[in-house]
Amino acid sequence: MKSEAWPSMRTRNSSGRPAAGPWPGRLLLGLFLLVTAVLILFPLVAAFLGSFMTNAEIAAGGKLVPSVWQFANYKEAWVQANFSRFAWNSLFVSAATTVGTLIVASMAAYVVERMKFPGKALFVGLQASTMFVAIGAVVLRPQFQLMVDLNLNTSLWGVILILISSHAYIFFILLSFLQGISRELDEAARIDGCSSAGIYWRIVLPLLRPALGVGALFTFCGAWNEYLRPLVFTLNNPNLQTLTVGLSYLRYGSSAAVQTHYLLAGACLSILPLLAAYLVANKSFMQMTAGSLKG
Amino acid sequence: MIKLRRIGFSYAFLAPSLLLTVVLGIYPIGWAIRYMFFDYKGYGEAKFVGLDNFERLYRDGPFWHSVANTFVYAGGKLILTIPLSLVLAVVLNRAFRGRSALRAIYFMPTIISSSVMAVVFYILFNSYNGILNQYLLKLGLISVPIPWLGPKHAMLTTILIAAWGAVGNYMLLFLAGLQNIPRDVYESSSLDGANRWQQFRYLTLPMLGPVLQIVVMLAIINALKGYESIMVLTDGGPIGKTEVMYLYVYKLFFPTPSASYVPDQQFGYGSAVGFATAVIVGVVTLGYHLLSRRLNRLQ
Repeated sequence: MKSEAWPSMRTRNSSGRPAAGPWPGRLLLGLFLLVTAVLILFPLVAAFLGSFMTNAEIAAGGKLVPSVWQFANYKEAWVQANFSRFAWNSLFVSAATTVGTLIVASMAAYVVERMKFPGKALFVGLQASTMFVAIGAVVLRPQFQLMVDLNLNTSLWGVILILISSHAYIFFILLSFLQGISRELDEAARIDGCSSAGIYWRIVLPLLRPALGVGALFTFCGAWNEYLRPLVFTLNNPNLQTLTVGLSYLRYGSSAAVQTHYLLAGACLSILPLLAAYLVANKSFMQMTAGSLKG
Repeated sequence: MIKLRRIGFSYAFLAPSLLLTVVLGIYPIGWAIRYMFFDYKGYGEAKFVGLDNFERLYRDGPFWHSVANTFVYAGGKLILTIPLSLVLAVVLNRAFRGRSALRAIYFMPTIISSSVMAVVFYILFNSYNGILNQYLLKLGLISVPIPWLGPKHAMLTTILIAAWGAVGNYMLLFLAGLQNIPRDVYESSSLDGANRWQQFRYLTLPMLGPVLQIVVMLAIINALKGYESIMVLTDGGPIGKTEVMYLYVYKLFFPTPSASYVPDQQFGYGSAVGFATAVIVGVVTLGYHLLSRRLNRLQ
């Protein structure tokens, strides 16, 4: 392969950008990027456009754009297939989980970072260990049993409490962010007579706002997309199902084959809110993944 | 006195987190460790049986079958995902027009629920009137529908879907690692006459090394643990072809609509199987860790 040494003759342009490769290579690379992008987008575009077709048109297939846009699909999914209920449940679970997680994790992060107390290392170790144990679905059963004993299985609060209980990741994000904030403001406030709780509420929380934002996004998306816990808790209670669970039930249902357009409309109802937020603020969404590596 | 009050305050603030973690995070693990040694079906009495559940596990053909499936699934997912996401990251680490749009597109699947996408993919890959087959037929690429979710192709299809959901995530993790490599090493190497491939092989890969190892470790764990999407797409079928070990555990606790492949709910035995799966993941992770350490030393 010595004969291919010629690319080394290339020079760099003055802007510091790497010089463009020879044109066949560039074309190939561009094609590769394009094909990958199309493969990623195709299922989403097909689902979105299919959600506006009649069932017969989807079954006949081979068409990307609906011949007549059936906006009624969404109305029917919303009303008849109970997706209004599912959407409300999803929103409720996600919002409550987000608020709860941020409160619980920020309170813990505050005392761990700013206070001295015995057992601190143990607590941090406990939080870290919960992120690494992977016995899968086994834990769902005792969690479920516990909620039955507490009479919390007939509402969504059981699911919400369980989702809040896995707040270790957010706790560590907030903790590392708090470590970067100097204590001067805390100390000044303490001299002015502010209580520890007051410092948390008036000083630490406002300073934490950027990290709370990322944490909120992360928690909300996670809860909105959560499948197993809501599934386990609503096996006997369809009125509590979230979008993810309601959708999978429709898929299992015997009539699923006839209701493809409902399924697609329902899937879009679940996907589109997050996707819309993502299109506006995709940098913030990416922060949550990249942060997990640095943290 | 002040010290006592501070400790009291600290624990008051810690209480919600501590309570939730202990009750909903630690207690269930203890529960599983206890019932590993019991014969307990979720109703009636729990009977202590010692190590019987593990003996049964040893002889449980379908379980070991699901372990084998898990390795095929995880291996396939990694082989597709890691190189592709690495290449995408290296390419997107350069400045060019449309870069942020492409990055946003590739990352998009990460924010979407895998269970919802499984429903969409079910409609796409359906053998009879699936959208994909209809397209391929219309375009003349195939003459008979491909049974994507049939016994022969189902595993490949689930792997493709898993890769679809994961590539963007790992691409972003690699990108974060690449951004820590100083630009000037590339400048000087290209002055020395290194081409793109040489730069990738002798600069990018070694300097990305630590990040690469962590990301691959994450990817291995995620690939071994994932079963949500498979559960919605095929529920382990057809005839157990896509049954992975975590799905097998799930079915022992919550029988799913098509759980014919797995016996009824068995909490005692299920706990033992769950424990075994955690050990398998632990052993693989540890093995990978040791291997990558040895490779480091050889370099």
